[in-house]
Amino acid sequence: MDETLETSLLEVLDSSQLNCLNENDDHTLKHILASKKLNSSSSYLLSDVDEQLLVNIPFNQSVRIRSIVIKSSVAAQRPRLIKLFINRPSLGFDDVQDSQEPDAAQVLELTEEQVLEGKRIPLRFVRFQNVGSLHIFVASNGGDDETRIDGIDVFGIPALGGTKDLSGLRKEED
Amino acid sequence: MPLEATMILIDNSEYMRNGDYQPTRFEAQQDAVTTVFQTKTDSNPENLAGLMTVAGKGPEVLVTNTKDLGQILQAIHSASSKVSGTADLPTAISVAQLALKHRQNKNLRQRIIIFIGSPLVGQGADEKNMVKLAKKLKKNNVAVDVIAFGEGIDEMESGVLKAFVDNVSSGDNSHFLTVPPGIHLLSDMVISSPILAGDRGIPEEAMGDTAGPSTGGAAGGFEFGVDPSLDPELAMALRMSMAEERARQDAMAQASGEAPPTSSGSVEGPAPTSTEPAEPTDDEEEAMLRHALALSEGRDVEMEEHGDEDEEMSEEEAIARAIEMSMKGPTDEDKSQEKK
Repeated sequence: MDETLETSLLEVLDSSQLNCLNENDDHTLKHILASKKLNSSSSYLLSDVDEQLLVNIPFNQSVRIRSIVIKSSVAAQRPRLIKLFINRPSLGFDDVQDSQEPDAAQVLELTEEQVLEGKRIPLRFVRFQNVGSLHIFVASNGGDDETRIDGIDVFGIPALGGTKDLSGLRKEED
Repeated sequence: MPLEATMILIDNSEYMRNGDYQPTRFEAQQDAVTTVFQTKTDSNPENLAGLMTVAGKGPEVLVTNTKDLGQILQAIHSASSKVSGTADLPTAISVAQLALKHRQNKNLRQRIIIFIGSPLVGQGADEKNMVKLAKKLKKNNVAVDVIAFGEGIDEMESGVLKAFVDNVSSGDNSHFLTVPPGIHLLSDMVISSPILAGDRGIPEEAMGDTAGPSTGGAAGGFEFGVDPSLDPELAMALRMSMAEERARQDAMAQASGEAPPTSSGSVEGPAPTSTEPAEPTDDEEEAMLRHALALSEGRDVEMEEHGDEDEEMSEEEAIARAIEMSMKGPTDEDKSQEKK
């Protein structure tokens, strides 16, 4: 597929509903996603009680996701096993702990290279056709007690016939 | 102004029939719940709160997240007829967490406020399990406030509940409050505690002082029996009035010297004040003193009737002193009046 047609879907991120479970109060998801692009500042997302994280990324229009980028700069704290879910806004750790592929949209084992260099991780495109919200469950990491994520990016295209983002219209009227 | 969805857990176990809080534990709790609900929903228009009971046949959600006080009041009223059984706190907390998880607006932080006036019983209520539960709540970004009340509650479960709150707290967002029985109202203790400080726009550090003594009992924790943070203007007025009264008393004490509280003192006391408006001349002053003297002597006679001989000498000395002082007193005051 033509990669140039894909845009970063963080443009259509609904940042007001962005949330993450088990995030450290000083290093939250908002720190790395509020700018609506791949985080390049020194801030990062850190887990709190244990190494697991549940990142919820809602979009303000439905999208198709082709690939994601998860970047972490510390090998021991990099996310290793992740499970992706779509359109499940009320997920808790109990729901995702034991779920496998049919329930989860995709279960991925990330390599060290993918995470440390922030490479694009291709997803099974057919399973991410009409995504209103993407949920990333980090089940385990490189071995440390805390998981650190320096940046997240999502690539794909807006869904055809899906709801269009109308929030920008108001600004043009002014 | 925290943006929060709150689940309020009320205790409706048999222990709540106790009358050690006015009028009963349950009704005191009812009052406090209304206070908490209103403070929470007033602090931010998006805030929501729900209500559930922990005892009875089992924990039961009475109201899911709402902004409507009427629903809460109605639910508490219906719960008041279902006071039975013992509290099953671990299950109730898990249920509350589920209710919070399915809130509409994910932007709201989750908070559970627990009122508990009975001992922890049943499986899963020991320290190990409660700490485990606390960790789970913390992981799910749920803050928990515990308000423990009732007799001997602090010895009985402070250990477990305190450990629970400590473990759930992340960035000091959870609080533990004990309210011993006394003449104070449960709701007053709750509103002046750090639990509602954030919603009332008061920094928690400022609450440190008032939260300490408030558990000590009565309104005595505060200078004038009123929480200064509740009504700063009233507190200010009281403080000013106190300062004025003290200044007045100091002036009085200075004017009358260091008079020992003798029997003549009481007679001598009013003398200068009565002469004050008239701006008395020395002659009038003398007359007043003579009158005072006569009065004191009159009392002496009465005393003698009771056969107190020794008293007479000291009494006469005191009178002599009183004369001396009242001579001095009014002249001082005359001077001060002239200054004015």
